[in-house]
Amino acid sequence: MRPDNLLLRPTHTQYCTLGCPILDAFLGGGIPCNSITELVSESGCGKTQLALQLLFTAQLPLHLNGLSASSLYLYSEFPFPNRRFTQLLESFRLSHPILFASSRDPRDYIFTRDCQTAHDLFDVLLQLESRLEKPKETRLDIKLIVIDSIAALFRSEFENNPRDLKRRSSLFFKISSILKSHARRFGIAIVLTNQVVDSMEDNEGSSGIRVGNLEWLYTSGRRVCPALGLSWANCVNSRLFLSRYEVTDGVENDSLDAGYSGFVNRRKMRELHVVFAPHLPYSSCEFVITREGVSGVAK
Amino acid sequence: MVTDLLYNPGPNTIHGISRLRGGGKIESQREPVRSRRAREMEVLRLPLSASQKGRLISAGYTSIASLSSISPSQLALELKISETEVLEILKTASDGSRLESTGSSRTIVHGAQSAWDMLQEEETLVRITTSCADLDYILGGGISCKEVTEIGGVPGIGKTQLGIQLAVNVQIPSDYGGLGGKAVYIDTEGSFMVERALQIAEACSDDMVEYSCLYRKGSQACEVKRQPKDFLENIFYFRVCSYTEQIALINYLEKFITEHKDVKVVIIDSVTFHFRQDFDDMALRTRLLSGMALKLMKLARNFGVAVVLLNQVTTKYSDGSFHLALALGDSWSHASTNRIILHWNGNERYAYIDKSPSLRSASAPYSVTAKGIRNSASNNKRIKHT
Repeated sequence: MRPDNLLLRPTHTQYCTLGCPILDAFLGGGIPCNSITELVSESGCGKTQLALQLLFTAQLPLHLNGLSASSLYLYSEFPFPNRRFTQLLESFRLSHPILFASSRDPRDYIFTRDCQTAHDLFDVLLQLESRLEKPKETRLDIKLIVIDSIAALFRSEFENNPRDLKRRSSLFFKISSILKSHARRFGIAIVLTNQVVDSMEDNEGSSGIRVGNLEWLYTSGRRVCPALGLSWANCVNSRLFLSRYEVTDGVENDSLDAGYSGFVNRRKMRELHVVFAPHLPYSSCEFVITREGVSGVAK
Repeated sequence: MVTDLLYNPGPNTIHGISRLRGGGKIESQREPVRSRRAREMEVLRLPLSASQKGRLISAGYTSIASLSSISPSQLALELKISETEVLEILKTASDGSRLESTGSSRTIVHGAQSAWDMLQEEETLVRITTSCADLDYILGGGISCKEVTEIGGVPGIGKTQLGIQLAVNVQIPSDYGGLGGKAVYIDTEGSFMVERALQIAEACSDDMVEYSCLYRKGSQACEVKRQPKDFLENIFYFRVCSYTEQIALINYLEKFITEHKDVKVVIIDSVTFHFRQDFDDMALRTRLLSGMALKLMKLARNFGVAVVLLNQVTTKYSDGSFHLALALGDSWSHASTNRIILHWNGNERYAYIDKSPSLRSASAPYSVTAKGIRNSASNNKRIKHT
């Protein structure tokens, strides 16, 4: 056994761009390789959007901060978001017309696979190893694995009793371990999405279980916490939280009657927060979802 | 630790030896049995080969004092060995007796120490600063070498940050009150980020420049600033991907540290990760863990390195409610000498000394900044002794 020479390694981890300079800067370069990044949010906040976008940006050449490689999309929430995928494909082609001339279809570099259960996922990951070892033969030159979503895999199969919970958490660590070992061996960036559950705990006595920088995660005016609990939180390297809430702007007069609320300009605000990450401090960044994809808003 | 008081020659014995100097084979009948036995052991205790010891004893040279005034040629004749070998023996014997007289009670049986030795050693024990004054204060100056310290907390509390900080701080040269050592960093989770290590190293070398400007004006005002990359060079980074690899690495560490004597801290981030999967046989897990714990303790003691184990927390169900506890179960809690729990208190991070043989239980706030672990931002003293 020999120690890695930290100087021989590139002093900066390789990152996969998100396709938006503001979001990249916010995340210190993008999604780090050799690490597991988790996106947590309620449904409709944009985690699948962001995940799909990454499938394309991973194909960008290195000088555009991509990984110049294929990606694998493992989905457990059905059906596969085909419509949105096609939309993003078009806009991606439009923004990089030279790179993706008609001869080269970005879809050829995106592999998808559905996973029904956690064991299913585990088997896929096991099989993947032998294929990743021979990227030339199998055409699987994968540098990005997206799992959307991890929570759905665990939602149905396990009961809420001590035995099943123990089995579940053992499986968490098994999956996390194999993901990390792939990430390490092949320099892969791993992105997982996770759902949220409503937090029912009272204010007192819960600070001990607080995970990360934010005392509470708020989205749509509800207080939530990431699904799968504390032991899963130990399985990821970084956790990002996507939140949304409504703001009213363009109205200066507070004395508006309730009946006039139809005139109030309501706007959805979306924010990305760093819950915890080994390389990033707490910060947050506003983002918007457009037809072209997810992009950050400069402060 | 075996503290051998029986074979510990007090001042009386030394006096006794000096009376007998020169007369190797004379044995005083009135000497107490205990000290006589101690003297008989003396030659055996010397780092000599078994045959040499056998020759010495059969020729009647049992105490070190008996060898002190004999001429080498005479001894060579008596033992029927070459003079060069005799010179070797005499040299080891005189080394042995010097230790005997200066230390008054040196290591007698290999590895044994008296409580007095241990106290003296503890007073000179070097500690690795955490870069957070409040935390250093409750830790009695920092993370102590020769001991196993376990640090646990929820994800995102700053365990890895503290680990990287220690790997950098161990390298602070002794001119600046540090150890000038190197670090072994065992990463089981893949959370070690080079960028972050560079950031922390940068801040550390900035602090060193500031320190030398403040305290050593004039002498060497403008020293060459240590490059952050130099810090990375002195961190031996191992990434392990399974528990078998982890155990193999820990077994190999002894050899590694023998070859790299300047390693002063071993950080395992985290000790838990690979042991929380795939163990149907919990008895096997407990055995493996306790074997590993023993190895780590031995490593800490023999090489004087600080062993820092980062641990995760888990919820434990007892008395009808869930509460947080460090992972790996009850038997694991014996594995470390000191146990520090990191937790949130409102919006602040706190460290709490959960277990320590020498430190009082206390808690102190700390914060994780861009520069690394630092004092909590608010200034009021909030160290609580409980």
